[in-house]
Amino acid sequence: MTKNISYQEALANYKAVSDRPLPEVNYEGLLEKYHPDYFKDACVQLKIGANKGDICHIQLAEMLQTDARIDEADLAGAQVIETDILIIGGGGAGCAAALTAAETGARVLIATKLRLGDSNTVMAEGGVQVSIEKDDTPQQHYDDTLRSADRPVDKKLVAEMVMSAPDVIRWLIQQGMQFDLDEYGDLLTRKAGGTTAPRVVYFKDYTGLEMMRVLKEAVRSSEIEVLDYVPTVELLSDEDGHCTGAVLSSLEDNRYKLVKAKSVIIATGGIGRLHLNGFPTSNHFGATGDGLVLAYRLGAKLRDLDSFQYHPSGLAYPQHLSGTLITESVRSAGAYLLNAQGERFVDELQPRDKVAAAIMRECAEGRGVDAGNGIKGIWIDTPGLELNNPGIFDARFPKLIKIGKKSGLDPRKQPLLIYPTLHYQNGGVIIDKHGQTNIPGLYCVGEVSGGIHGRNRLMGNSLLEIISFGRRAGIHAAKYSPRKPFRKISIEHLSRLRRELMLADMPMDSKGPILFPAYAKFETDSDYSGLHKNKKSK
Amino acid sequence: MEKTLNQVLLHKNSRVGADYTLWKNGWGGQGLKNAMEHPADIISMIRDAGLLGLGGSGFPTHIKWQAIADQTNTEKYLICNGNEDEPGTFKDRVLLEETPFQVIEGATIAALACGINNVVFYINPNLKTCHEVMQSALAKWLTSEIHNHALQQGLNLKYTIVASSGHYIAGEETAAIESVEGKFPFPRGKEPRPTTSGVNGCPTLINNIETLCNAPHILRNGVQWYRDLGIGEANGTKIYCLSGDVLSPGVYELPMGTPLTELIFKYGQGMLVGKELKAVFTGGPSNTILTEKDLDVNLDFKSVSERRSSLGTGAMIVVSRGTGIVKRVAQYVDFFAAESCGQCPACKTGTYYMSQLLGEIDTGAGKKADLDSLVDLCNILPGGGRCHLLDGAVKVVDSSLYHFLDEYKEALSDDSN
Repeated sequence: MTKNISYQEALANYKAVSDRPLPEVNYEGLLEKYHPDYFKDACVQLKIGANKGDICHIQLAEMLQTDARIDEADLAGAQVIETDILIIGGGGAGCAAALTAAETGARVLIATKLRLGDSNTVMAEGGVQVSIEKDDTPQQHYDDTLRSADRPVDKKLVAEMVMSAPDVIRWLIQQGMQFDLDEYGDLLTRKAGGTTAPRVVYFKDYTGLEMMRVLKEAVRSSEIEVLDYVPTVELLSDEDGHCTGAVLSSLEDNRYKLVKAKSVIIATGGIGRLHLNGFPTSNHFGATGDGLVLAYRLGAKLRDLDSFQYHPSGLAYPQHLSGTLITESVRSAGAYLLNAQGERFVDELQPRDKVAAAIMRECAEGRGVDAGNGIKGIWIDTPGLELNNPGIFDARFPKLIKIGKKSGLDPRKQPLLIYPTLHYQNGGVIIDKHGQTNIPGLYCVGEVSGGIHGRNRLMGNSLLEIISFGRRAGIHAAKYSPRKPFRKISIEHLSRLRRELMLADMPMDSKGPILFPAYAKFETDSDYSGLHKNKKSK
Repeated sequence: MEKTLNQVLLHKNSRVGADYTLWKNGWGGQGLKNAMEHPADIISMIRDAGLLGLGGSGFPTHIKWQAIADQTNTEKYLICNGNEDEPGTFKDRVLLEETPFQVIEGATIAALACGINNVVFYINPNLKTCHEVMQSALAKWLTSEIHNHALQQGLNLKYTIVASSGHYIAGEETAAIESVEGKFPFPRGKEPRPTTSGVNGCPTLINNIETLCNAPHILRNGVQWYRDLGIGEANGTKIYCLSGDVLSPGVYELPMGTPLTELIFKYGQGMLVGKELKAVFTGGPSNTILTEKDLDVNLDFKSVSERRSSLGTGAMIVVSRGTGIVKRVAQYVDFFAAESCGQCPACKTGTYYMSQLLGEIDTGAGKKADLDSLVDLCNILPGGGRCHLLDGAVKVVDSSLYHFLDEYKEALSDDSN
């Protein structure tokens, strides 16, 4: 294995200078050789389900093809709750769907695995894309999204999303969300990697947190019912294949609850906590891909299961903060990426997949920084940024200063070591413009859905997506659900799953969805037996 | 396996869809040809073959046919009953979708034998493909040489396809007559029988699709051939609908009298995920439950009824250990409560009350008094309705109480024992 340059030596190579011209960069074959999506043996063919025969990341495939956690016997005597619309997940997408649905008078229940607002929405720092500058148009936003996607996307979804963006921001402001403004009170914008115009509106480097704060307050002060600490372990269906509710598992009293619903909206986010290819992740603790598993079992069709976003700038050192995100805004504000020799090696505002791959190339070819214990990375030139824009960190990146404090480093004085971190699931459940899946009664919104981002998501498109499609799904479900009668609830689709597993000669010793990462150590920390089921039986 | 599986009704010569040529090149039309040569012998052949009503009753087919044939009316009706709406039953769907010409040929033979001039294919509206396939097949039939030949022989039949109302109850004989007359399918009183006064007051023969499908083959191959198909004293074949916790659910046409264990473990490839068998709902949910000790039973009308159960439509819903019987029965009784037409007070209130009690017990809120009420209802209700819906609902409750009383007791909130 190529040896990188030691942390101390690399630090000695580094000097903060105001101007660093970009050398010639070779992007040819970069992704194919260095991006983890292209790793040999990273993908396998799915053996069961609606995507049988399709290519899927090996770890995700394993999870999609697990046995269910429950049997009919588990449901005997379970409490039954009725609601018009059940929303699984209490992040930004779930809350947006809930709020718009509840406005119509529909009965809405949000079930969260942890607590309302525990989500990746709060992790999003950079901002929201919206074409509001005078030289920008939704068409440009659309073109940028398609270009960086690097594979066919569902153009209708992208069109709906970019067109709805201004209204999304208006709605968020009406809910009470703050954005950074110029001296005239207009929204400030900045440029994201891979885009042609400054288009990202933001609130410091806390945009997602501010968004979640507002949505959470709005939900709490509405009629929406919220059940916390109730991971969903299975969906319910009837004999016609409609989704008719879900089985929740209460962490508080260790019992199952059945929710009978006319529509179910899955907003469970992504899969970062599966640590694909052994990568650290920027994702929230709950990002274990539950929604994908639940929807797939019911027959929902998925797409782009081989493509994930590795955010270029995850903190690599110190180790206890490994994976923590350093927002792309730092790069869009002008911070350079430097290798151990103190040289630039990539245009920092290329799409994320290319920047991430370029970082991995530096480390693979011996120009990375070796911080010991297998930790490697390259510098993000924060002192250089401060030199060019004095005071920018205090004004715009307070979160980064805080991360620095936790690390015992001052980013204004010392560059930070970064390495790509598993950030986002580009694909997901196929939906239409209302967020509906191919399963009647089942909607998916946010990161769990697919079709918008292709192989590479632009910064700021995920916060836009969750609100845009969250609201659409909420409105659509509320319009069509309350008039419908309740349907039967059963878990007979699990017989089909088990039949398929047996006929495909698949092992049935692991159970899904996994709900929590294995290192949660629930077997020692919790007396909740239901959680142990994600362990392989001996 | 190949020798006994799908020998006749589901043989590849029968499963041709709406492809007339394929059907004709197989064995299509031979039964009708023989029938037209000796129309007077049809009913005696059906009698000697021992064909029984395969829609669930097991009633000897020739008796019904003879009763119609004895009527002197000029207008007579045949209703080919494909209303099929019972949980776990899906054989008529397969027959209508995949063997439409077999259905039409069978119906034509029945009409010929009984002097019927109106043939109605009465099909559940939810089975959209069945309607499409039957329409397409019927159009081809009406321009076929077989039909022309029949016309020359003086057999001028009017065929119509009627969508039933989609209610479960619409499959009941007299309800079907009401439905064909364009009314809501309320079952009628016991007299007069449809054989004397059915559709528009005319004698009406009502046969299940599967029953009619057997006629061409009996006429084609003879009585002895048909009798030899069955196992033991049983005759012919039966289409079994296997569903529930088995590895390979589906329709299996097997010799009448095939043992239950063979159906589940040989054709159904055994239990799902190695679970143990707990119970089998035979003939759909309006029947008595079979348990593990009954696995050796031969699946024919007589043998199954000797085990206090009945073969019914041939649906076998297999339930494994780990499935709550109370929940299952509650679901089925909910179904009956929802499907009760409501004209008989005992049925309307009885099914509703039973479903409420079962719901309470299943969700752990039931009391000893609720269980006692349920037991009482099983004694009071039977016979309280015009049709068999109420009796069917009681049968499944009664049988589950007989076999699984402990499960009911365990679920009670004030169980002291």
